[in-house]
Amino acid sequence: MKKVTTARISQLLFLALFLVLFLMTEYRGSDRIVAAVNGFFRANPLTAASTMLAAKAYLPLLLPGLVVLVAALFLGRFFCGWICPLGTILDLVTGRIRKVGAVRALTGRAKYWLLLPLLTASLLGVNLAGLLDPIALLLRALTFFFHPLFGDTVRGGWRSLYTVMGERRDVLDPGYRLLRDYLLPFRETLYPLAFLSALLFVLILFLERYERRAWCRRLCPLGTLLGLVSRLGPLRRTPAKLCADCQACREHCPTSFDQDLLQTEECILCMECALRCPSRRVRFRFTGARPQVGTVMERRVFLGGLLGGVVLARGFRFREPTAEAKLLRPPGVRDEDEFLKKCVRCGECMKVCLRSALYPAFFQAGAEGIYTPLVVPRLGYCEYNCTLCGQVCPTGAIPDLPKEEKQRQVIGKAVFDKNHCLPFAKRIDCIVCEEHCPIPGKAIRSERVEVTGFDGIKRIVQQPYVVDELCNGCGICENVCPLEGKAAIEVFRVKDRTPLKAPAGGAPPPSDPYADPYAGGGS
Amino acid sequence: MERRQFIKILGMSSLFLHGWLRNLFAAQGPVVAVAQGTDHAGITRKALSALGGMQHFVKPGQTVVVKPNIGWDRTPEYAATTNPVVVKTVVEECLKAGAKRVKVFDRTCNDPRRCYASSGIESALKGMKNVEVKHLEEERFKKVALNGKVLKEWELYGEALSADVYINLPVAKHHGLSRLTLGMKNVMGIMGGNRGSIHKNIDQALADVNASFRPHLTLIDATRILTAHGPQGGNLADVKILNQVIACTDIVAADAYATTLFGLKPADIAVTRAAYQRGLGEMDLDKMRIVRV
Repeated sequence: MKKVTTARISQLLFLALFLVLFLMTEYRGSDRIVAAVNGFFRANPLTAASTMLAAKAYLPLLLPGLVVLVAALFLGRFFCGWICPLGTILDLVTGRIRKVGAVRALTGRAKYWLLLPLLTASLLGVNLAGLLDPIALLLRALTFFFHPLFGDTVRGGWRSLYTVMGERRDVLDPGYRLLRDYLLPFRETLYPLAFLSALLFVLILFLERYERRAWCRRLCPLGTLLGLVSRLGPLRRTPAKLCADCQACREHCPTSFDQDLLQTEECILCMECALRCPSRRVRFRFTGARPQVGTVMERRVFLGGLLGGVVLARGFRFREPTAEAKLLRPPGVRDEDEFLKKCVRCGECMKVCLRSALYPAFFQAGAEGIYTPLVVPRLGYCEYNCTLCGQVCPTGAIPDLPKEEKQRQVIGKAVFDKNHCLPFAKRIDCIVCEEHCPIPGKAIRSERVEVTGFDGIKRIVQQPYVVDELCNGCGICENVCPLEGKAAIEVFRVKDRTPLKAPAGGAPPPSDPYADPYAGGGS
Repeated sequence: MERRQFIKILGMSSLFLHGWLRNLFAAQGPVVAVAQGTDHAGITRKALSALGGMQHFVKPGQTVVVKPNIGWDRTPEYAATTNPVVVKTVVEECLKAGAKRVKVFDRTCNDPRRCYASSGIESALKGMKNVEVKHLEEERFKKVALNGKVLKEWELYGEALSADVYINLPVAKHHGLSRLTLGMKNVMGIMGGNRGSIHKNIDQALADVNASFRPHLTLIDATRILTAHGPQGGNLADVKILNQVIACTDIVAADAYATTLFGLKPADIAVTRAAYQRGLGEMDLDKMRIVRV
């Protein structure tokens, strides 16, 4: 942190970009999101590799990731030293953490034991790489823990200010508005796995206690993948070893020089050694394809890694049927297996979800589905006119559909529970669900039925029912059901998620929602 | 000194004159101003001037709340939310009358950000000085003793309670449970808590709230009305263009008149009936002075 280098400037710029994009991953008054943090995932080689292995197809959305992978062939792990926001955060804090020396358990082949099973599991159709992907780890920690915590704190303060100042607080409103509109999450949402997400992030910070960039060197699957590729490339540092007369590199190098030989697959191209070499000997040069010497990993590590992948992909398939009945996927996801192949669990859809309807799965989708998004209608519903989750999904696991098409995607089907539903169970009026149903022809309707109330008085109540052919499972009915606790109408998963038929009648909405069709009169 | 005294006396006497005029009108039943025309800003102003103009309600330096229906994420032509032109005109008139501040808000059913944007109201009022288009803040709700038939107390929005003038600006539309949603149901937009739970007794509950919280003026937007699949519609086939704006200080009378636009009688609407029986206003069309402009 003493001298500002080009690498450092690049790191800080990318970290700032990451944070800005993170804040932009939110509804800001326009149906389309201008830019979202998904760019970091599209350019993420690990995401690209694991998703394409799982889908066994080329996904154009992830082309930037492949480009970075090819670039790594020539430039090594430049991503780690120049771009990765998690790496930058580690570099920023590491100076304040006293080192106690490397952990032996991590210095061996641990990183291959992580990367290989993840990629093998991908090959078998379960895309788990996102669980340990550094960008996803960081994004989830921010989305599920730090950002809500920040929002909660600021808004809590703002609220308590009201109890002190009352209406006079309005004087401070412009300032708070700026904060609220640009920095705070729109509403306070509590996420499951918030603790785990924060813990993983803090653990990575904690590893800095042992050595600099411990996570990046010893564990990070993205870094490991890039390191493997860089071994094949032509870029080499000369001299490859520590010079007997100086050995300053051992001091300056953040990753690779605890042995006498530079470890190419751990070098993050920060250029510290070249910049600080007292005798200006260090050069990074394209020396022609002379593969790095030494074994990558022993055969047993390789085979063990493969086997680990099989265990990962096949050992956690159990799903609890009752939990699965409520396993509702974001709109447009029609096939669970296809979804698990493509979802990298980055958390972006949950960050952007307009009504905070999406939450990370814990065990609802089986252990293999941890951190995948699911709709929890009691907490938030899928807004009829909103298409944000599809827009930000980096891999297309949630398809980016036009509004009219997304509205017809089936998330599940609503079912009444007459033992709870007031017009049936208590013989009194309610139909809040019908009122909120956004389908133009109403997927929830009601019939007027004469009943004798429990007070002995005859009255007409409206008893609701669901029209399955129109229900898209958005969940607003379950969300607004005024009963405490369990709702009297619930959305359940259905296997056949063929989109609803296009509604008959009704002209398409105008292209510009802000244009007033009544301006200047006329009709 | 003399001139000042003269003006004082003039002012005082005009106050009395004014009250006397009002009493005269009250004796004749409420005035319901019905303005019709395709110039929606124009008919809004006409309806207002038929009631004596906005300066009759808003005095210089006062804080005004204009409460349209912004409940749903629908564009204006679907008639699920109040016409932004009508809202804008009312706000402009308030400012012209000297309002210090005009606040516009609603407790929405869909996401507030989307509702405010799609309704066109946020953009219609954008950049106007001394006008606030705000999302509700949870902490501003205050428990109010209603001592009603079914609601003993409920949380109402603080800024609505503290406003000098409250203008109720609903859109006339169909509703699955209460048949229609008009002026009295629009007050739900300042109610906190679990609003769904009042549906089991919605007519009495709304009468309870309206008995305690009384808007100074109700303007019903019937420039286009939603005749079926309310309250959010979504199908233009359900929308009927009427090009009308109704203004009245008596919320029950305004609702009663608006009911006729749907081919119904005032007594068909349970909320209107309940309010009338409690003496909150007039629902007998023959006892109103309907002024068409």
